[in-house]
Order: sequence, then C-alpha cells, then structure tokens
Amino acid sequence: MLETRNLDKSFGAIHVTRNVSLKLERGERRVILGPNGAGKTTLFNQLVGEIVPDKGQILLAGEDVTALPVAKRARRGLSRSYQKNTLFDGLTVEENLALAASVHAGVSMTLWRDALQSVQVRAIVEEVANQVNLMPYIHAKVSEISYGVRRQLEVGVALATKPLVLLMDEPTSGVGPEMAKGFHDLLAGLPRDLTILIIEHDMDLAFAVADTITVLNYGEVVFDGLPEDARGSKLLRDIYLGAWEDA
Amino acid sequence: MTPDLSFWTMQTLNALQLSMLLFLLSVGLTVIFGLMHFVNLAHGALYALGAYFAATLASHAGFWVALLLAPLGVAVVGMALYGGLIQRMRKSGPMAQVLVTFGLIFVLLDLTRIFWGDLALAITPPAILAGRVDILGVGYPAYRLFIIALGLGIFAALALILSRTQIGAMIRAGVDNDDMAACMGINVERLFFIVFCVGCGLAGLAGAVAAPLLSVTPGMGLEILIPTLIVIVIGGLGSLKGAIAGSLIYGFVQTFGAVLLPGVASILIYALLAAVLLLKPVGLFPAKG
Amino acid sequence: MFRHTPLRYAALIILFSGALFTAFTAGYFGMEILTEILILAILVLALDLVAGFGGMVSLAHGALMGLGAYAFVALATKAGLDPWVAASAAVAITAGTGWVIGAICARSHGIYFIMATLAFGQMGYSYFFEQSFFGGDDGMVGPRRFDLGFIGINLNDSRSFALFCLAILGVIYLVAMAILRSGLGRSLTGVTHNEKRMRALGLNVWRVKADVFGLSGAMAGIAGVLAAQHIMFISPKMLHWTVSGEALVVVILGGLGTLVGPLVGAVAFVVMKHELSHVTTYWHLIVGLVLIAVVMSRANGIFGFIEARFRPKTDRMIQSIQTRDDAKEIAKDA
Repeated sequence: MLETRNLDKSFGAIHVTRNVSLKLERGERRVILGPNGAGKTTLFNQLVGEIVPDKGQILLAGEDVTALPVAKRARRGLSRSYQKNTLFDGLTVEENLALAASVHAGVSMTLWRDALQSVQVRAIVEEVANQVNLMPYIHAKVSEISYGVRRQLEVGVALATKPLVLLMDEPTSGVGPEMAKGFHDLLAGLPRDLTILIIEHDMDLAFAVADTITVLNYGEVVFDGLPEDARGSKLLRDIYLGAWEDA
Repeated sequence: MTPDLSFWTMQTLNALQLSMLLFLLSVGLTVIFGLMHFVNLAHGALYALGAYFAATLASHAGFWVALLLAPLGVAVVGMALYGGLIQRMRKSGPMAQVLVTFGLIFVLLDLTRIFWGDLALAITPPAILAGRVDILGVGYPAYRLFIIALGLGIFAALALILSRTQIGAMIRAGVDNDDMAACMGINVERLFFIVFCVGCGLAGLAGAVAAPLLSVTPGMGLEILIPTLIVIVIGGLGSLKGAIAGSLIYGFVQTFGAVLLPGVASILIYALLAAVLLLKPVGLFPAKG
Repeated sequence: MFRHTPLRYAALIILFSGALFTAFTAGYFGMEILTEILILAILVLALDLVAGFGGMVSLAHGALMGLGAYAFVALATKAGLDPWVAASAAVAITAGTGWVIGAICARSHGIYFIMATLAFGQMGYSYFFEQSFFGGDDGMVGPRRFDLGFIGINLNDSRSFALFCLAILGVIYLVAMAILRSGLGRSLTGVTHNEKRMRALGLNVWRVKADVFGLSGAMAGIAGVLAAQHIMFISPKMLHWTVSGEALVVVILGGLGTLVGPLVGAVAFVVMKHELSHVTTYWHLIVGLVLIAVVMSRANGIFGFIEARFRPKTDRMIQSIQTRDDAKEIAKDA
C-alpha cells in the first residue's frame, strides 16, 4: 500500500535519511522506533511531500507519487497527524473534523452552501468522532478541551480525510500513561484495512499495537521485522536504549 | 533621436545616480527588516525630513554643514521613534507594523507641512560642485557625479563594516538567525537600536543629497517610498547585495525605460517586480534561504 | 469562522437605521457624505473578506475598484453599452483580474504578499495614467446613472441614489456572510489558521485564495461602478496605492475580520475626515495619531474594543483559564 525505495535526503552535511526502503501491506500497522534525531519525522515529511527527497521513490497504492505535491498525495489517500497539535483553535471539534471531511466530500470549494450541511460531511464527522471518542466534546471549541482530547482530535482530523494510509507522528506525545492506554483502545477501534504508520516513543505501547517494527538510527533502517524479534534484539536495545539513557 | 555614445553615457550616468540615491535609502530599510523583521513604511518620511533639515541648515550654515548635520538630526528622530514606537511594535505581526508606520507617514507629513509650509524649498549645490565635468564628451553635472561617488563610497564602507568588523559580524549573525545571535551573547537590543538609527541616518543622508536635485516638498517621502520598497523586494530582504542589486536594476530599468519605451516605462518596473516575485517569491538575493 | 453575536446584530441595526435616518433627513451635503460612506463600506467589506478572514493583506483593492470604474465608464461611454450591461461586464472584469492576482500571489506571504499586490495595483494605476484613450491623468467623465425608471425611481436624485447604494451594500453584506459560511469560506478559515495543515488534508490552497480574491475583486468592482456613477468623473487617482492604504486603515480602525467593524470604520473615517478638514488642513496628522493609537492599543479596532467591553463576564473567565492552560502547554512544549 505504501512503499519507499532507496529514499535518501541530506541537509547540507547532515545525512538525515539513508537509503530507506520500506514496504507496508494493506492493513499493516507498523511502528517506527528510534532515538531523537534518528530522522523519523523527516521521513514522514518526505512521505507526505513536505520535503522532497534527494533520491529514491515513494509509491502509494502501487503508483509513484514522489513528484506529487502535498495536496495531491493527500487526495490520493495519504494523511498524517502532527507531533505538535495543528488544530484550528477558534473552531469547534465538529468544525475541525468537517474542515478535513469537506475536502474528501468535495465541498471544500462550494459557494452558497455550508459544508457542515453536506450529508456526506456529516456522516464522516459522526463516524470519525465515534472512532476517536470525541462525541462528548463535539460542540466544544478546541480551546475548551484538554490537551489529551486535543491529541485525539489531531488524529481525528487526519482520519476525516478517509485515508488509505494514516501516518501518526507521536500520537501520545505529552499525554499521561492513562491516555496512552486509551490510545491503544482507539487504535483497536480503527478499521482493519487502514494501513497505519506510527512514530512512537513509548516502547510498551509500540510493541502492543504493532504488526511490524522498523528501527531508524542516524537516518538508516537498522531493524525491520516482527515485534517479537525486536524485543529480543540486542541491536535495538543498544541503539535505542543506549541513546535513550544518554539523553 | 539617434542613440549615440554620448546618449548612452548620459543615460548610464543618470541611471547610476538614481540607483545610488535609492541605494542610500533602501540599504537601511532592508537591513532593519532583515535584522528586526520590522517593516518601516515611514522610511520615506525620514528621507523627506532629511531634505528639510538640509534645506534649513544650508541656508544658515552652508551646504557641507547641512550634509553632515541633517543625517545626524534624522538619526536623532530615529532614536525617538525607536524608543517611543518601534521597540513596542517589534513583536507585532507585519500588518500592525505596516499600519503603525503608515500612520507615522501621515503624522510626519503634516508635521513637515506645519513647520516648513506647503511651498517647495530649494537649495543650491556648493560652488565646487556647481559646474559640469567632461566624461566621454558629455558635460555631466558635477553634483550628480558627487552623488554617484557618495553612494559607491557608502556601499564600500558598509561592505567593509559588515565583512570585517565585529559589529558587522554581529549583524550578519543576527540577520541569519535571531536566536543564535542572542545565544552568542550579543546584546540584541543595543544592536537593533544602533542599526535602526544608522538606517534612519542614511535615509536622512539620501534626503540631504537629493535636496539640491529635486525640490523639497512634503510629498517627496511618499513618492520615494514605493521605489524603495520595490528595490528591497526585488533585491531580497536583509542583504546589502540585494539592496545594491535592486537599486541598480530599478535605476537602469526606470531610466532607460523612460527614454527608450516612454509609453510603458512606468508599467515596466511593476511588471518586473511581479515577475521577480512570481519566479523567486523572496527576491533575488535574500539574506536567508 | 464568522459568527453573528447579539452585539453584531445590534450594531448592524443601529448602522442601518442611522443610514436610513440620514437619507431622509440630511441635506445635499450630508447625502453626499452618506453615499461616500456607503461606497467606501462596500470596498472595505471586500477588503475585510481577504485581509480579515484570509490573512491576505491587499494593497491592490483601490486599483480593483478603479479598474471597475474605468471598465464601466469605457464600456458605457466609448462602447455605448447599456449601463447595466456595462456594469455587469466591469464587475466580471474585476472578478477575473482579482482571481488572477490572487492566484499569482497565493505563494507569497507577509510583506511579500503586500508588495506583490502593491505591484499589481500600481501597474494598473500607471496604465490608466499613461493611456490617452482613457483620458490619461485627466480622467474621464462618467456616464449616466442606472435607469430605474421602470420601477419609478430616479437615481439622479441624490436621496434615491444613496438608498440604492445602501441596498447594494446590504446585498453585499449578505453575500459576504454567505461566502464565509460556505464550504469555500470554511476552507479559507482553515487556510488562514494553518495553511500547511490544510494542504496536508488535500486542499488546493491556491484555488481557495484565488477564488476568494476573485469574489472580493467583484465586490471592489461594484464599489467602483457606484463611485463612477456617484461623482460622475473618474481619474487614475482612484487606483493609486494610497486609496488601498486608506481602505486598509478603515478596516483596521473598525475591526479586522468582523465584517461589522469595517462598516463602523467607514463611518468613523469619512465623518472624521469631513469634520476635521473643516477645522484644520492638517487632518491627516490626527488620523495618523488615531491609527497609531488604535493599533498600539492591541484592541481589534473600534468595534473590537466595544466587543471586548461587552463580552459577558463568564466568557472572559473561560478565556483567562484557557490562556493559563495554553501557557502551561507552551511551557511543556519547550
């Protein structure tokens, strides 16, 4: 469903992505691990098109999207959430979701009609709000909900474009352990055919939700396999925990 | 009219003279913007103020004293503006800055009208620069040559200061990255203050040297503002190179456009600006990538 | 997202009844001032749509208005078209021009956007200044006003014309409101909040900007057509960037991104200008000082100031709690 071939990117002398090749099957849930500065977010930025790679290809549903701009990739079914909330603050939860859904429903450019009144938009908003447990807050403004709920909404906005592939950049960053548990349940509630790529710092959570695990270090894939194998891997322990303890 | 060598010499000198005048104005504005991210629309009004100071001083103490003191006077006005307004507006968005300095244009415009009246003032260049100098068979006014020389001299001096001195290094660091400059222990506030005042002084200098050339009117600041802004946007904000390149482009396009394509000359420069922004949305030589 | 509060309704009712009252009581001079306010109000509504709701601070709107006036006059007098046809064509021309300017400038932000729109505006100014076909810097004499004889209204009467302008302004206000509530308007809000995120959601950001700029251009064009009919004379001065600058001042003075605020600003600005110019020739000085004071006070213009005063106490409390929460969150992020 999502594939990269020999992706490479440097910023000046800093080599942030080295020859990264990944392949995600439809419905696969993969977690990317790696210490800070391993190039995880930079990889995401290349996948969605916010950064252009120096070399390599990105394929979405079998088609080369490397040259496509961000918006076109998004319309083809690639959606992402951000590590830092990028919500629309003055708006309600419902309006946030509707903004994203209206693009998918094709009413983002209409005149004379409110996107919120579109049947299709309403259906998506309701579906997504249920998936990410936002129904109780649906009419609250973003500025009135807690940080944890905002993190849920951040994922919800990405989901409301009805993507084929969902990229989540540290969805539990900054929330407490209880919320992280809630996130586990949230993932369980998402459709099984949705392909998901997650950057996650919490190792336990990563092992709990992942079908497969990729470990990045200095922009390079150093492990690619099943969680069971990763758990026992000395390599992973050295790189990841070593760097973790150093930090 | 058949263009011959003397025609080209004459127009090239005219273009250079206009470029240098614009350079004196734009360099201060662009460095202030690059360093402080501050849009000062009142820069043109400070230029007009420089011309008025020069006109008054010249009638009492002669041209050379005026040329020296008028920029200082404008720099002092700059100090007052910095303390009263600019410092407080630094953290505001570009729109608030544009509007406050737009208001300042109104205020300064009417203040010059109150102090000096609506009538145009004139000053005569000093006797030593009153004549003409023969260049390639063209008798060119010495005073205009003086402006070209002064502009080039200031450019050279600024280039030296920026590349060789400590304060130059601080400015370059500040333009490049605000946080880094603060981390390096630079007193950013003082640096801003100095750069702002020097920028204002240069605007005053431009006004003073322009005064014998044009008639000094309250509206002269507003007239020069748009060309100055075009220069810095074409050149790219924040860089000395951009200011000189933009000035030369403007000076030559405007001068040669006016004589070769009189019908479209005034549209030409705006079309050029639009084209530059379309191809390079941040200008030709921006200080930052 | 645009919302009507009771205060906004109240302000609208006061403004509307004030305009009606003036139209039926004022003398010739007062009627001229009223019409001037109404036409300026249309222009600043157009500007608020792009600047206040779209974050696109335009210095081309004076030129778009002027273009509408020139196109209307040229089509009506030189091409001899019926005023209604000429006006429709003129508005279509400004809409198209606005769309193109918006599309080209969509990639620019901040001061570069301002400068890019300035460049296009000044290009128009220079063009009409130079072209002897359009009268050069002498300008042109305007055509007849619209003929509303078939419903028994004579627009050459200054009261009828003022009421006609008021009706047009009302329609444009409703249209602006509808645009802001439409899918396009919501997308625009999203783009203004966070352009990058909207792109990541698959939105054609430049199209949204261009479409809104085009619609705003059409409104500016309508203001131009009415201005040409009002003063029955047009000159390149209408296109000069200082006209756009003044319109921006009016929007800010009134309250950016409130729709109602710019209307208040238009009244305040025109009345202030006329009253002050009776007293002193230096009225720009006072306008300048007021502008500096308003911007530096951090209130969102006159109307923003009033709104902040009238906001219910509970609302203010919620907001202060939120600010504290946000501060904590920022601290955590850092």
